[in-house]
Amino acid sequence: MPTLQSRLPGPPPREADVADAGKFVPPVVEFHDVTVAYGGRPVLWNVDLTIAEPCLFGIIGPNGAGKSTLLKSGLGLVPLVHGTARFWGRPLAEVRGRVGYVPQRETVDWDFPVSVMDVVLMGTYGRLGWFRRPGGRERSLARECLDRVGLIDVADRQIGRLSGGQQQRVFVARALAQEADIYFLDEPMAGVDARSQEQIFGVLAGLRSEGRLVVVVHHDLRTAAAWFDRVALIDMRLVATGPTAEVLTPANLRRTYAGQVDLLEEIGQAVAARGRTT
Amino acid sequence: MNPPACLAAAPALTHNTLVVAAGVAAVGCAAGVVGSLSLLRKRPLIGDAAAHTTLVGVAGAFLLTGRRDLPTLLTGALVAAVAGLAAVVLVRRFTRTRDDAATAIVIGVGFGLGIALLSGITARGLPGSAGLEQFLLGHTAALTARDAVVLAVVSAAAVAVVLLGLKEATLVAFDAAFAAATGWPVGWIDQVLVTLVAVMVVVGLPAAGAVLVTALVVIPPVAARQWTDRVPTLLLLGGTFGLVAAVTGVAVSAVVPRMPTGPLVVLAAAAICIVSLVIAPRRGWLARRRRQITLEPPRA
Repeated sequence: MPTLQSRLPGPPPREADVADAGKFVPPVVEFHDVTVAYGGRPVLWNVDLTIAEPCLFGIIGPNGAGKSTLLKSGLGLVPLVHGTARFWGRPLAEVRGRVGYVPQRETVDWDFPVSVMDVVLMGTYGRLGWFRRPGGRERSLARECLDRVGLIDVADRQIGRLSGGQQQRVFVARALAQEADIYFLDEPMAGVDARSQEQIFGVLAGLRSEGRLVVVVHHDLRTAAAWFDRVALIDMRLVATGPTAEVLTPANLRRTYAGQVDLLEEIGQAVAARGRTT
Repeated sequence: MNPPACLAAAPALTHNTLVVAAGVAAVGCAAGVVGSLSLLRKRPLIGDAAAHTTLVGVAGAFLLTGRRDLPTLLTGALVAAVAGLAAVVLVRRFTRTRDDAATAIVIGVGFGLGIALLSGITARGLPGSAGLEQFLLGHTAALTARDAVVLAVVSAAAVAVVLLGLKEATLVAFDAAFAAATGWPVGWIDQVLVTLVAVMVVVGLPAAGAVLVTALVVIPPVAARQWTDRVPTLLLLGGTFGLVAAVTGVAVSAVVPRMPTGPLVVLAAAAICIVSLVIAPRRGWLARRRRQITLEPPRA
């Protein structure tokens, strides 16, 4: 996908580091020694993952590797057997309003009797608090968010009458309406048409350039190499993390995707080719 | 054990009859409103577990207090209904039984216990026990105007709670994970919803009886869903259909002597539902069939 690659300028400059030199700045997100189990069976083991500053961050790994679980553990949606997740050095409860979330599209019933607008407005509920209904400010914010994902024309449509890609963009718009500083997205590109993928990626890149952290659970290695500034490879444990080109090496991928060797050859060559051009 | 019911079933259109009809109408309406939310949360059967355990509470309240006025019996029913719902949760949590199986267990055990207690009471002809069996199938003719007012007030309160928390309930029903991630206490909101269903099942007992009262919470919302794609309209239509069904049942049972109200209410609701499932625009059977035949291209 050359268009996406050329649009991506690479990791942002690190002037902030220079300015704040000597001052301790807590990492934006820090998973410390996270272990999660479902019904006694562990799905994540001792994961230490630090995302020091805002960027476009990919969590990559095979099916069942615990990628989504890692996101959910950060959001308090699954109980931690052990470990902590912190945001700017603080627990989630203190900063909840600053963390946006895009769940997997299949987790909701799209036959639900709400309009596109209704769903995007749900992004404002956290800020509204108990019993207060969205008003003019919330509606214009929601319209803005719908515009950013290119869905303003279907604002009044029932959500079941959208394509899969459009539904995913509704979820992205709802997260935008949260006006958060950190965004967690769970497989936002799964089962999504190319046009929606590009649109969603454009929105995420925009958030990054506004200085926000965007963490994306992603399964497609081909696009991962092009999209993310930094990645973490996960297969129940953290295999590797760092700048994308350094992490997506054939050796690391082999350790993560044991048993899927054909695919690995191909990806390894693609990544190597990209390394030569940049 | 039947004389009081027969005497009260005189078909005259007295003041009392009208007040009772209004009270039961309020119950039907509130059951439709609360049931609509419960339908959205995909928990239609939870009301059934509550309903089938109510008889234990009715019998228990009578045995404990020796009284048989409606508020006493319904308070007992509510306690039993909440206990039944708690039992579903406990069975599920401690035995790793699936949700539907846990519900079925509680329905069976609760109902069996309730019937055993009621039969024991009526078979012994305990003083003042006449009419308790009417909670099985519902019989509004025996209600007093004061009873009806109690039912209406509780129903209005339930609707008020729904309208107050509609934003929160809709969010949880649509996307519980997102609600939890954004800090809403999903468990507590669910708890309130389930309690509301239990309350509606209990105040619906005189109208529909323990066996059929769930239908009052389930059928009108299903019918309403056929006609709309918006939550507020769903609640409005669910309430309207519930009201119409309840009033129809009460009216017919007032005219036909010794006819229990429950089956009539349910049949009226079912008629509305069947018509809705067939003729509703877009979601109805006819509309979908027509679309298949003409192969209407999807709207852009």
